[in-house]
Amino acid sequence: MSAHDVMPDIELYQPITVEDAVALAERHGENGWLLAGGQDTYGWLKDRAKHTSAMIDLNAIDALKGIRELAGGIEIGALTSLTEIQNNSSVVAKFGLLAEAVAHVASPQIRNMGTLGGNLVQDTRCWYYRRGLSCYRAGGNTCYANTPEGMNREHAIFGASRCVAVTPSDTAPALVALEAQMVIVGPDGERIVAAEDFFVGPNVDIRSMTTLETGEVLTAVRIPGKWATSEYYFEKVADRNVWDFALVSVAAVMKLNGGNITDARFACGGVACVPQRLPAVERAVIGKPRNDETGLAAGAIASNGAVTLNYNHFKVPLIENLVRRAVRG
Amino acid sequence: MEIVQHKNDIWGQEVLLGVSWDLLWLVVVASFAVIIVHLLVMALRKRAEQPATEGTRLNRHAKSDRIFHWVMAISTLVLLFTGILPIIGVKFGWLTIHWISGIVLTASVLFHIVRALFWQDPLSMWVAPKDLREPFDSSQKPGKYSLAQKGMHLAMTLVVLVVIGSGLVMLSLIDTPFWTRGAWLGEGALGWVFVLHGLSTLALIALSALHIYFGVRPEKLFYTRSMIKGWISEPELEAHHDPARWMPDKIV
Repeated sequence: MSAHDVMPDIELYQPITVEDAVALAERHGENGWLLAGGQDTYGWLKDRAKHTSAMIDLNAIDALKGIRELAGGIEIGALTSLTEIQNNSSVVAKFGLLAEAVAHVASPQIRNMGTLGGNLVQDTRCWYYRRGLSCYRAGGNTCYANTPEGMNREHAIFGASRCVAVTPSDTAPALVALEAQMVIVGPDGERIVAAEDFFVGPNVDIRSMTTLETGEVLTAVRIPGKWATSEYYFEKVADRNVWDFALVSVAAVMKLNGGNITDARFACGGVACVPQRLPAVERAVIGKPRNDETGLAAGAIASNGAVTLNYNHFKVPLIENLVRRAVRG
Repeated sequence: MEIVQHKNDIWGQEVLLGVSWDLLWLVVVASFAVIIVHLLVMALRKRAEQPATEGTRLNRHAKSDRIFHWVMAISTLVLLFTGILPIIGVKFGWLTIHWISGIVLTASVLFHIVRALFWQDPLSMWVAPKDLREPFDSSQKPGKYSLAQKGMHLAMTLVVLVVIGSGLVMLSLIDTPFWTRGAWLGEGALGWVFVLHGLSTLALIALSALHIYFGVRPEKLFYTRSMIKGWISEPELEAHHDPARWMPDKIV
């Protein structure tokens, strides 16, 4: 199978209000496709691995763009480009973790086009799935990655349930750590979902990576002020520093008092279908000094419960070391 | 309406996925239709006087058989709900509950088979030629089990064995705490296993709906009581059974 040079024939809709976008998404149902930056979309469609008859281009909706100050926190429109977030002084000053995570997404060109919403709801990069095989996630009855011959170096070590795909998003672990809230608008109105609950594993829904239902649009991400200006750490390990998806990433925020950690949240990318919270690590570091000794102890428990596949054992020491470095600072 | 669903993969190959879940609504509607028709027929009929529940109590179901029945009933209902709810859009972590319930159902069915073969009279559940006269001759009373009960048991046996067999194959293909998933079945054969599991599930929904309905009908309620408490009264035996064909022990 090879990528095609041209897009398939699709009806294009360009709403200018969220209400119109929701109405279109509801009208077209499963046949509708929401387009943001297109960095996930065009691969699917040009590979002919997924099809749509109605493209709903959200880019003309100004209400979905921009960064707004909230009481103590900020609200980022879902269509705000990753470059704008990376360079926004308020984000950099208050939520350096997010700015750092955004800066690690793909490449400058992709960050110019890619949006925060698109980065959050993008589909997994499991190559069996992306290549159009009838795996569980594609509606089939099996997983091709989790077989004796399966190439599963990039796949999950936590939370696998039949499907072993991982979240490809760099911003998702940061937003989970920052206790962000997702603003979703659908035919029944607006609902707010905690970032941690926005992402769903295959045990709950093997066909979707988020709680977004057909007809719903992610309109904004709100980050409360709780973790503003806190200590943070972000590190992403990928095969190449530019363009590649994370093999493992760690996003952490910590509050310190007199050198001791008083509160902390850790989330990892690339190890599960959802950003993997590490509550045991958080419990272990609270009340301890932020140093290598604490980091070593925390890293040792970061991999508790990991179940490796044939080719991804390396993720266990990787997550342990990343957590150690995050705690050590 | 299709019976099975297919998918064309990226190379245009047709992949069999399983049963078409449009059939679920057909089964639900058909089951309710049968129940409503029966309700109407019974409402038009003159209601027969119910035999007294007083008098000597006769043993119908041993405690172990009652436990088996309710374990099987609960596990079947859990299997149906955890299997069907995600299909109709209720999202939750269903798979672990589903396969554990499947193991419970399998174990209870194995217990029942061994007990029925070696400690009970398995022929008491087989349909004999004489039983076929029951629907047409009101004087023809059954032994321990009526033709309807035997028919339900036979249908349930077939459906449950298919659902367990196909379910065990599917269980071997997922990770559990006891083993890692196998990859021994090809995609085509796996599709047929899903078809069998789906069809037997649909049949199980219909049979369970009818079984529960008849279990709570006023004239059959004494059977449900006997499945809870173990006994029927002597007047109930005389009204519904032929003591010459089945004479249970008295409970002292």
